[in-house]
Amino acid sequence: MTATTTFHADERPSSLLSASALVGPATAFVTLGLLAPMAILLRYSFNRFDPRRMMIETFSLDNYVKFFADPYYTGVLWTTLRVAALCTVACLIMGLPLAYVLARTQSRYKNVMIMLVVLPLFVGNAVRAAGWMTLFGTKGFLNVTLIQLGIIAAPMEMMFTEGAVVAGIIAVNLPYMVLTLQSVIEGINRNVEEAAFSLGAGPATMFRRVLLPLSLPGILAGTILTFILGMNAYATPVLLGGPKFKMMGPLVYGQFQLNNWPFGASAAFILMTATLGLTAAANILIQRRFRR
Amino acid sequence: MTRSTSRRDILLGAAALAGAATLPRAASADTKGRIVVGTWGGDYARLLNKNIEAPILIKDGWDVVQDQAGDPERRSKMLAEQRLPRGGSDVQGLSALNMFQMNDAGVVLPIDYGKLKNAGNLLPAMKYPYGVGQIYSGKVGVYNPKIITTAPVSYKDVFDPKHGNKLGIIDIQYQYTMVCAALAAGGKVNDLEPGKKLLMECKKAGMRIYPTNEAFAQGLKSEEFGTGVMWKARVVQWQNAGIPVSAVAPTEGALAYISGFVVPKNAPNKDGAYAYLDAMLEKSAQEAFAVDMGYNPTVANATVAPDLNQRIGFTPEEVKKLVDLDYDYMNKYDVEFKEWWDKELKS
Repeated sequence: MTATTTFHADERPSSLLSASALVGPATAFVTLGLLAPMAILLRYSFNRFDPRRMMIETFSLDNYVKFFADPYYTGVLWTTLRVAALCTVACLIMGLPLAYVLARTQSRYKNVMIMLVVLPLFVGNAVRAAGWMTLFGTKGFLNVTLIQLGIIAAPMEMMFTEGAVVAGIIAVNLPYMVLTLQSVIEGINRNVEEAAFSLGAGPATMFRRVLLPLSLPGILAGTILTFILGMNAYATPVLLGGPKFKMMGPLVYGQFQLNNWPFGASAAFILMTATLGLTAAANILIQRRFRR
Repeated sequence: MTRSTSRRDILLGAAALAGAATLPRAASADTKGRIVVGTWGGDYARLLNKNIEAPILIKDGWDVVQDQAGDPERRSKMLAEQRLPRGGSDVQGLSALNMFQMNDAGVVLPIDYGKLKNAGNLLPAMKYPYGVGQIYSGKVGVYNPKIITTAPVSYKDVFDPKHGNKLGIIDIQYQYTMVCAALAAGGKVNDLEPGKKLLMECKKAGMRIYPTNEAFAQGLKSEEFGTGVMWKARVVQWQNAGIPVSAVAPTEGALAYISGFVVPKNAPNKDGAYAYLDAMLEKSAQEAFAVDMGYNPTVANATVAPDLNQRIGFTPEEVKKLVDLDYDYMNKYDVEFKEWWDKELKS
């Protein structure tokens, strides 16, 4: 009986629930599920493609050289960076006022409004893109409406354009930006805004000198999140960009479809390095800028 | 006391769980065995179940499990599993080109036709040393008579720059499109250079490129363009869906599409794999696929109703003229063709 209530020194609950035990399962999961496959993929990126054997084990930088020496592939990387940056800026500009209103509203419908922001996330990317297709098509809602209103005479080519992809990605990423910003702005005491106003600051000055610096952690988190999602977009560029528009996600997948794992792996690592490098650089630059 | 009771409970629970985990195996012990089928998803997988698995194999006591994925993923899996003594599938559904590719990679078993009771009915062209053809169709010229008033009779008529933006092609069908264009330009299945030149001329004239078969059908339906090439079986499905499209077998000979099954060398249940191959060649299964999917049977004893045959089939002359890919050539240069397609044609 006593055995159930007496603990030996090495069986104290505190030691069993030590920090290492708490982080252990997650660490093991990430190591096994993410780092190990990435290490294998990194090794593959140095191999050589062979149509018969899929790849030949070697250690060469040829795949990376091929990527950076070919204007087609570097062009795809630049397109990806441009689209991701554009979507991130657009999400920030559109998301900040919306997040501010959501954070400050006293309305009893606040929860409903938050649900409305999250609502697009209930629909999968592919389904959402299909919705955009019915909107952007030659005989889609937009073209038909504009023609019937007499604004345009012939249908506009909206599908399979960069504009369609940007609109599609913004629709996917905007809720992430809004929710991140809203939670941070909610944590900023309303009194500091009132103090700025009482000291003579206008709304623009208050925003620039008080709200912006205080909401910087949220801006950084939201920006990083939407930029990463934009860089790795797959379904939206494929469905709305069409065959001629290429971003890195579809490019990587296309190489694996061709069984060219070594080049696909190297393209994947270039994408990942560019995403991580730019995210870290932007983080450091913004923090330095606002620390002054 | 509490501790010992607790331990017993745990042991009892563990034993119960272990027992429960073996239940499906115990159930499967009553069957002839499990056959794992690698296949595309969607309608094709549904029809495999409806026409082959449920009425023949499951009824005969086999347990059939489908492993659904796109063929690139399944081919990669086969290559990745090749060193394992037991692979993850018993049969894999692939196109004839991919069957060749997998054989070239040394991962599939040579077919012993002596083990197939239906082998005698199989059309000779569908009998590969490394795989068995299940269904076939041909790449025909398609056109919307409302837009293209003069019916094309050849690939040359379809791939004519004079069509401008009324000619459409499909991105995911780059291999077959390049070969059709090569035949249109007087080239051969193992020389695609004339086809590349012709496609570039069509591109300059405004040719449209659609990402998928479905987008191509949508473009035809909305009259964005009026002509292109497509599998005859798919044209029948579009006609059934009310898309105004007609098909013509090209005078150069229709490029054949053959889909079949291979057996991985490390298939865990090789007897089951042969049972599957035999079942798919059954008269009833072949006839049902013609009705449900619009593809032609690969066995001589299958009967297709004359009206259906007129829509999905080819005349004896057209069958004689069917053109097959040069598998070795396509396999060897596939990556180069795709790079040309992406960098030059789609740029």
